This record gives sequence, structure tokens and C-alpha cells, in this order.
Amino acid sequence: MSKDLITSAVLKIAILAVLFAALPALLAYLGQGYLYQVVMLALIFSLLAVSLQLVTGIAGLLHLGHAAFYGVGAYIAALAGADYGIGFTLGLPLAGLGAAAIAFVVALPTMRLVSIYFAVATLGIGQMIFLVLQNWVEVTKGPNGVMLFTGIDLFGYTVDSELGTYFVVATIVCASIWVIHRLSHSYYGNALRSLREDDQCADAMGIDTVRLKIEAFMISSFFAGIAGALWAYTTGYISPMDFDFSESILILAMVVVGGLGSIPGAVIGALLLILLPEALRGVGDIRNIIVGFVLFFSILFLPKGLFGEVPALNFIRRQFGSAWQDNPDKQKVGWK
Amino acid sequence: MTMSRRTTLGLFAGVAGMLAVPAAALADGPVYLGYQLPLTGNTAQYGQDFKTAAEIALKDFNASGKLKVPVEIIFEDSRSDAKEGVAIARKFVDDKRIVAALGDFTSTVSMAAAQVYQRAGMAQLSQTASHPDYAKISEWQFRNITTQAQEGVYNADWMTQNGLKKIAVIAEQTDWGQSVVKDFAEQVKANGGEVVFTEFFNRGLPDFRSIITKIERAKPDAIYTGFFYEDGAQFLKQMKQLNVETPVYSTSAAYNQKLVELAGPAAEGLFLTVTFLPNSESENVKTFVDEWKAARGGAEPGQFPAQAYDAVNIMLEAVARAYPDVSRQNVRDELAKTTDFPGVTGVTSFDENGEALKQLTKATVTDGQFVPVK
Repeated sequence: MSKDLITSAVLKIAILAVLFAALPALLAYLGQGYLYQVVMLALIFSLLAVSLQLVTGIAGLLHLGHAAFYGVGAYIAALAGADYGIGFTLGLPLAGLGAAAIAFVVALPTMRLVSIYFAVATLGIGQMIFLVLQNWVEVTKGPNGVMLFTGIDLFGYTVDSELGTYFVVATIVCASIWVIHRLSHSYYGNALRSLREDDQCADAMGIDTVRLKIEAFMISSFFAGIAGALWAYTTGYISPMDFDFSESILILAMVVVGGLGSIPGAVIGALLLILLPEALRGVGDIRNIIVGFVLFFSILFLPKGLFGEVPALNFIRRQFGSAWQDNPDKQKVGWK
Repeated sequence: MTMSRRTTLGLFAGVAGMLAVPAAALADGPVYLGYQLPLTGNTAQYGQDFKTAAEIALKDFNASGKLKVPVEIIFEDSRSDAKEGVAIARKFVDDKRIVAALGDFTSTVSMAAAQVYQRAGMAQLSQTASHPDYAKISEWQFRNITTQAQEGVYNADWMTQNGLKKIAVIAEQTDWGQSVVKDFAEQVKANGGEVVFTEFFNRGLPDFRSIITKIERAKPDAIYTGFFYEDGAQFLKQMKQLNVETPVYSTSAAYNQKLVELAGPAAEGLFLTVTFLPNSESENVKTFVDEWKAARGGAEPGQFPAQAYDAVNIMLEAVARAYPDVSRQNVRDELAKTTDFPGVTGVTSFDENGEALKQLTKATVTDGQFVPVK
């Protein structure tokens, strides 16, 4: 037990040290805006992939409209900042809550659908939200998009340096992923997994399946909204084209390549699909083909993902000390 | 207290010096320009055209000996994706050798990248970004495409001259389509006319018949349209099918030989404004068209490659004027001074916002050819 606690503490400290000391020190040393941009993008997409993982990988609901909720968050943050003078401190939670509220409204009629019918419904929802962003000109400014000139302000402090922005993004992404990690690696997460495996059986066992699905959908959308606000504040200009169907597919690809049901897998998938195309910039026009091949072969040889659910769960149980042990002779099960 | 770059970096005092940015190119080495454009993805055909146009312009410029040192262009593929466009802009800004940037293709990507160029202080010249607010972002943004503030007004006056008072307007639902309607409608009102019908459609709409029926119910004297050639061909064909004979006016965006190929006889009699006609008699257009045909196996260049060709040439002229002090600031200042540049898309000047003012030509389709209206 104490040995587990030590390894768990070492790993947690190592992750935090990389994110909040080594990486920013390296970025500041190199001093290149390009690297900051790529790293922040990778962080934002890690959050998007992890939030989609909760619905698609863990609760087993194929969701084809995640980018729309990302867009709702971005628009709420950008419009609140540009038109109503509501800064980042308030805009960020508003973006998350707004996206979650819309998720609640659309979840009510769709959550009784299963499998492919649910997928098609989310496809429709994604397109509807996209078209609203595109065509409701009076409110969203339509295809003109929204320019956001105010930088990140945090309780009265203005963060205008690259490094400061990095710390804000890294902190929010880290905290958000931690919340989703705690939710999914717990009995709550087990209940969500039971929906995926057999929702009728879960229902018979006394699990309120519809309610759980709605909750997972809302939580996922909340964090997509948070990611949207981060995107709006780090680029300064958003337009509906940033949140179209191909963006949903990109996030879904991250989840699948990383490993359905695996939180660390989603992060790995996001890092791969954001960093690989940038790293391959030197090879010219064929870089997309190479990315395609990498995806194809990773699915062919690792159909359960680069870091599949079973190894991921074992890893989390062991390394994060989340498991409890009722019998020293048996394998550790359960969650703390 | 604000958490400025310096206070945050106080933690990393040892490396703070690395962030200082002296941005002056060496006077004896080559001068570098960045060009961000979609070389892959859904809009790759446009980006590949721009690249060819830029290479033609660059080759001629370097051969002309206007500048003692060669100029080089670094191309980066944005896939028309704002994520990539912003990263490229950051990359260009980081590269101390690059003195100015060209691109991007779509307004979305150009506008997102513009935030980076504005902060860093590097001139950005887009050959196609048509968003009404693009050039207003800062003094660093320029574009080489006529805006609807110019073209819409010009078309409204043209229609008034032809005695057309009641006009129906349709446009695609994009930032550009919005400006097509707004600028045109204001001038029609100022001229004493009336816009009797307005509607936006989403790009790639396959069926315009319900819109055409609604237009006909409003009984306009003419229809003003903001579309690109793909939608234009659909619209004109369906007009013909429904036997609607109301005259149609359009913008230079509809100008493309493919419009005539796709719409066939339905394109006959379309009125539009153009800035570039490949069959023009002028010397520089002939040179460009010949070189393009040589590079592209005989195909004729369209409006957009011509705009890219001019944009690159305008930028190269600015660099030549700035030489030997080819700093980012200096190149921007020289770019802003561009007046009466004799391009293939007409004589071009930049106004105080960095908007291109161009000579427009009235044209119509006769016997499957775009010809100037006398």
C-alpha cells in the first residue's frame, strides 16, 4: 500500500512537473510563438478528446456532433467578451454552462435512442447548431465570425504574455481532465460502462440509465464548452467554419485512435493528431497521406487503441492508487 | 498590477533575453516572404493555383534584376483550417528572415492569422480574403481583391443607368455574401431604386427553384446575385428551366470559364463586373496568360490566380522599394504606398485601410465567352 502511494505520488508529480515546469521552461527558452501555439492547441484538443471519451468511449454513445458544443462554448465566450464586456473569469464558466444547458435541452428527446439512431441524432444536432451559428446573423454575426480583442483577464489581472497564457490554458485543461478522470475512474464511471455493455441489464439492476446518459452528455458538453472558450481566447477570432462536421470527426478519430474508454488514450490520440501533422510540415503536401497511413495502421494493428481501455484501467488503478484491496491474495478491484 | 511578459518571466529570468525580437533581414542575403495557402484539403485547387501564380511572378522578378539579392517565398500548407493557419502565422513571425506574409485563402483563416500578424507587426497581404472587416483589423492587413464597398456600388450604379429600379438580391450565406447584399442595397436606395427581395442561401445549394419562384413573385426588373461559379451555374440553369427571363447581374466572383461550361446556354446574357479577362489585349496579361499556359498544360488562368499573381508582384515591388532596409516595418510602409500598380487585374492602389481599389470592367456572356460591355 505504501509502495503504491509512493509510485502514485511520483507519477502525479512527474506529470505536473512536465506540464508546469519543464515544458514551459523549454518553451520560454526557445521563445517561439509557433511552439506555444501548437502546444496550446494540443492541450485544448486533449480536453476535447477526453470530454468526448466520457460519452463515446465510456458511456458507449457514438456522438458525431461534439464540435458543435465546442462551438457553442467558443461563441458564448467570444460574444460575452466582445459585446457585453464579460471577461474571461466569468466567460469561461458561462461558456461551459451554456454548452451544458444546450446539451440538456437536446438530450431530453434523444437519450432514449440507442446505437446508430443516437449517432444519427447527434449528427443532426451538430449540423443544426452549426447552421444556427452560420445563419442567425443578428446574434452570432453569422459567417462574419466574432473578433475578440480582449486578452485573458483573471480576476482583474491581465495575462498578456505567451507564458502566462500557457499557464492559464494548462491549468484549466489539467483541472478539467482531472475532474473527468475522477468521474470515469470511480463507481460512477463503472455505471457509465455498464450502460455501454448492456443498458437493459443496467436498467434491471436499478441504474437510472436515461438520467446517467443525460448527465454524461451534459458533463461532456460542459468541458467541450470550456475548450471552446480557450480556443476563442487564444486565437482572438472565431467563425462557424471552425466547428463544422469535420472537426467532430477529428475529435472522434482522436478518441478511437487513442483507445475507446481510455482517458490517457484520448490524450495520446489528441497529441498524435495535432502534433504529427505539424511535425511533418517539412515533408510537404504528402504529410496528410502520412497521417492517414499512421491512423490506418494504428487501427489495423492496435484496434483497441494506442492505449486501450484495459491497460489504461490497470494503469490508473496501479499508478494512481485508486484501487482498494479487500483480500491481499486477490487482484485489486474497485475504486477508492 | 498586470501579469505582463516580464513579471511572468521573472521566474525564468535566465532565459528572458531569448524573447527579444530584433527583426531586420540581412541586406546581402536573400529576402524571404511567407505564403500561407491551402495546398491540401477541400480547397487545395485554389492553393495550388496560387502557388503556380506566385512561382511565375517570383521567377520573373528574380530574373528582372530589379533587386540585387534574390527573393524567396516559403510556402506553408494551411488546409483552409484556422488551427493550422494560426500556427503558420506564428511560424512566419518567429522566423526572423521573413519580412512579410501573403495569404491566406479563406476569410476565416486570414482573419484568425491576422490577429497574429497584427500583434507581431508583420504585413499580411491576402489575395482573396473578402471579409468586410479584414483590412480594418490593423495597419498590417492588406488585400488584393475588390471589396463589395466598391463593386456593389459600381453594380448598383450600372443597373440604375440601365433603368432597372426594382431589384431582387440573393447571395450565399458567407461573410462575403453579407457584404454583397449590404453595400449594394445601400447604393440602390441612394439611387432612388428599391430592393424588393433579399435572401441568403447556403453554399452548394442544389435546388434554387423555390428561391426563383419567390423572386418572380416580387416582380423585380433585375436580379443581383452574390455567388461563385458553381452555385451560379446551378442558379442560371434552373432560371432557364423555369423560363424566367429577368436579367441577372453578378460580381467578379462568378467570373470563371467553368461557369459557361457548366451552365451552357443558360449563362448567355449574364452581366457581371470583372477585373481580369484572359483574352485582354494588354501586354502584361498576355505575358501572364502565356506563362500560366506553359506551366499548366494549356489551361487558362481564372480570376483568383490572377489576383494572387498581382498580390505577389505588389509585395515584390514593395520589397524592392524598401531595399536595402528590408525590415518588416519598412516593407509594410512601402506596401501601403502602392499606387496605380499596373497589374493583370487592373490598375490597383491601396486606400488608407489597405483595401485594394481597382479598375472594374463591365462584362457579359455572349456565345460562351466573357466579353467587355461597350
